[in-house]
Amino acid sequence: MGRTLAVVLALTLVLGLALSCPVHAQTKEDTIVYSLQSDIDSWDPPASVLREAIILGYHAFDHLATRDLKTRRVGPNLATSWRNIDDTTWEVKLRQGVKFHDGTPFTAKDVKATFERVLDPAKKMTARGNHAKIKSVEVMDDYTVRFKTDGPYPLFVERLTAQVMQSEKVMREKGDQWMGENPVGTGPYKLVKWNRKQEHLLVRNDDYWGPKPYYKYLRIRIIPEKATEIAELLSGGVDLIKAVPPDQMDVIDKSGGARTASSPILRTAMLQLDQAARGGPNPFTDRKVRQAANLAADHDGIIKHVLNGLGDRVATGINPMAFGWDPTLKPYKQDLAAAKKLLAEAGYPNGVDIIFHEGPPIVEPAIQQTNDAIVADMAKAGFRVKRVYIGDNTVLVARIKEGKGGPMFNWSWGYYSVFDADAILYDVFKCGESYSYYCNKELDDLIATGRSSLDAKKRAEIYVKAQKLLYDDAAYLYKWGLRGVWGISNRIDYTAPADEVDRLFLATPRKK
Amino acid sequence: MRRYIARQIVQLVVVVIGVSILSFCILHVIGDPVLLLLPQNAGKEEFERYRHLFGLDRPLYVQYWSFASRAVLGDFGQSWYGNAPAFQLVIERMPYTLYLTLAGFAVTLAISLPLGVLAALKRHSLVDTLCTMVATAGQALPLFWLGIMLIIIFSVRLRLLPASGYGTWQHFLMPSLCLGIAIAPITMRLVRSGMIEVLSMDYIKTARSKGMTERRVVWKHAFRNACIPVITVLGLQFGQLLGGAIITETVFAWPGVATLTVDSIRNQDFPVVQCAVVLLALIIVLVILIVDVVVGFIDPRVRTGA
Repeated sequence: MGRTLAVVLALTLVLGLALSCPVHAQTKEDTIVYSLQSDIDSWDPPASVLREAIILGYHAFDHLATRDLKTRRVGPNLATSWRNIDDTTWEVKLRQGVKFHDGTPFTAKDVKATFERVLDPAKKMTARGNHAKIKSVEVMDDYTVRFKTDGPYPLFVERLTAQVMQSEKVMREKGDQWMGENPVGTGPYKLVKWNRKQEHLLVRNDDYWGPKPYYKYLRIRIIPEKATEIAELLSGGVDLIKAVPPDQMDVIDKSGGARTASSPILRTAMLQLDQAARGGPNPFTDRKVRQAANLAADHDGIIKHVLNGLGDRVATGINPMAFGWDPTLKPYKQDLAAAKKLLAEAGYPNGVDIIFHEGPPIVEPAIQQTNDAIVADMAKAGFRVKRVYIGDNTVLVARIKEGKGGPMFNWSWGYYSVFDADAILYDVFKCGESYSYYCNKELDDLIATGRSSLDAKKRAEIYVKAQKLLYDDAAYLYKWGLRGVWGISNRIDYTAPADEVDRLFLATPRKK
Repeated sequence: MRRYIARQIVQLVVVVIGVSILSFCILHVIGDPVLLLLPQNAGKEEFERYRHLFGLDRPLYVQYWSFASRAVLGDFGQSWYGNAPAFQLVIERMPYTLYLTLAGFAVTLAISLPLGVLAALKRHSLVDTLCTMVATAGQALPLFWLGIMLIIIFSVRLRLLPASGYGTWQHFLMPSLCLGIAIAPITMRLVRSGMIEVLSMDYIKTARSKGMTERRVVWKHAFRNACIPVITVLGLQFGQLLGGAIITETVFAWPGVATLTVDSIRNQDFPVVQCAVVLLALIIVLVILIVDVVVGFIDPRVRTGA
C-alpha cells in the first residue's frame, strides 16, 4: 500500500515537472524583467479599469501623443502635429510608415475606428468617460483626422495620451473577446505568451517606427507578495519593481544589488473639511477654523521626519506637475499662536471637538503615522480630534460619496492622470460634486471659464486666481504631493516616471 | 462496505452544499463588488445598472438558488474581470496547487515518518527530546515567516534557488519544504505515540520472543499497525495542506488556485471565489472519503461499524 502510494506520488510529481518546464530561449543579458503585484484583466487597455493595463498598454501599443518624462510636456507620437480649425474642431496629422504588429499600415481609419469603438455606449468601455467630449471623428485623408468636440475642449491633447491606437482590421475581423487576449498594436514590444496571473513574455518589435528597445525580451511576472517582490529584486530575479514601502528603501539601497529611486507623482493628499456642511453644521463651515487647522500642522517637519522626504508641499490641492500650478503661492507655515487666536475669534477659546474619519494605508504611504503627527499638532492649537478608523477603503469611499465623510477625512486625488488643474478642481472643489465638500460660487465660475477656453495663457491666469482663492479661504487642510518609490536593479539604468507609467523600452544596461 | 461508502458520499454532498452556502453568504456580507468594479466617477444609475446586470439586486436566496442550480452542472458563471468562465480559470490553476500540495505532502512524510519512529524507539532519550523540540518549533513557525526566511537565505544570500515563480524543479524546493515543515510536526507526534503504543503490545513481545530481527519487528509488525491512525489524520491534514498552500502560493508567487482566489477576493470577483472554494472543498472531502475507504480496507473493524 505504502509503496504504491509512493510510486503514484513520485510519478505525479515527475510528470508535473516534465509537463511544466517552459522553453527558455532568452538569456539574462537580452531580457528585462518587471513585476506587478496583480495581473491585468485584459490586453485591451480601453476595456480595463486597471492602471497595470495602462502600463502594459504602453509596451504593445502607441498613443497619438505622449508625455516626455523629462519636460513632462505632451509631445507628438503617432500624431505628428495638431491644431484648432475652430473652437470645436481639432485637426490631427498622423505619422506615415507606421505598421501594426500584423503588418497592416496605420492610417486615419484606425484612429476613427479606435475612438468610435471606445465611444460606443453599447461597448461599455471603461475609457469612454475620458473621451465623452468628442462628438465625431472624420477621416480627411489617410494621414489626417478631424475631431469635432462638444464645446471647446482644452484637455483634448492631454487626453490623446490616454488612448492607445488599435487596428480597424482587427476590430472588424476578430472582435472584442479576441482583442482582450491578443494586443495588435504599433508599439515597441509584441506579446508572445500570456500565462494568466503568472507571466507575460514580450519580444521586441524589430519593425518599430521609433527608437527600438535595448532588451530583446520583456518578461512581466506577477508576484502578489511585496516581500517576495523585494527578495526577487535583491536576488536578481526581477529588474524593476514599483510601490516600494518607505521602510524598505534602506534594505534595497544597502543591498548592493539594487537601488531605489523616487519621483513626484500626480497625486495630492489633503484632509477634506466639510465647508459645504454636507453632513450638517460643523465648525469647519467657519473660515477661521479652517485656517487655524492649516496653521496648526507642521507639514514640512512631517515630510522630512515621517515620510523620509517623500512628499512635496503644496499651497492648495493643485499638484506642482499639473497645468495651472502657481509656484509663487507659498504654503501655510505652522504658527500655533495664530491658530489659537483664530480659533478664539471663531468662538472656540477653549478648543473645539472634531471627528476625523481615517482611511487605510492603501493609497498614501505611512498614512497612519502622518495622521498621528497632524492630530498631535492640531491638539496643540486646541483641536480635540476624535479619530474614527475605517479599515475598508470601499466603505470610506462610499461614505464620502454619500456626503457622510465629514467633518474631516483623509483624501487624495490622482487627477485621473490628467496633468491639468481642472482635473482636481472640478471633482474635488466644485459645489455639488460627489467628492467635493466645498461650495463657493466664485470658484465655480472660475472652473467653468477655465474648462471652456482653449487659450492656455488665459486658462493659466484663471487657475492662479482659483489657487489664491482656495488658499485664502483654506478650503481643506492641504498636505502634500505624493511621491512614488521604485526599486531598480543595479544592472539597469532607468528613470522613475512621474506619470507612474513604467516604460521598460527605455531601460538600458547600466553604464559602469 | 457498500453501505459504508454510500453513507460517506451522502455526508460529502451535505458538506459541499454547506460550504457553498457559507462562502456565498460571507462573500455577500463583505461588500459590494460593483463599488470596486466601476471607476470612482461612475454615477448612481451606472451602479444600479451593473447591480442589476449581475443580479445583485435580487434577494440573497434567489441569488443562491440560481447560482447553485447552474453550479451543479459545472457552470459557475463568467468571471467579472477575467473575461472567461470561472470554472475554466480555476481548473487551469488546479494542477499547480495539487503539485505543490503533493510535494508538500511528500516532504511531510519524509520528515515525520523516520523522525516519529526514531523518537518512539529512543523514547526519553536525547534524540526524542530533540525531535520533540523540532516538532514544537515547526508547529510554532508561521508559514508566512518561514517562507520569507527561506527566500532570504537561499535566494537573496546564497543565490542558490529562484525566489519565486514556477518553471523548473528548483522552483519546487522551497515552497514544498515550507509547506512540509508546517504540517510535519503533528504527523510526527502521531507516529511517535502510535509506535510507542504498538510497541508495548503483546504481539510485539511475541514477535520478539520468536527471535525476529528488530528491524522486522519495528517495520513489519509495529509500524504497519501504528500507521492506521496516521493515515486517517493525514487525510484530514490534506485540507490543512491546501490551506497552507494558499499562504505558500502567495509568498512564492506560485500560479495556483490560491493566488487566483486571493486575487479574486481582493477584486470581489464572486464567481471565481465561489468556484474555487467549492472545488477545493470537494477535493478535501473526496480525499477524506478515499482515506476512509482505504482505512476500511486495511482495518476491518472500521467498516463493520464497530
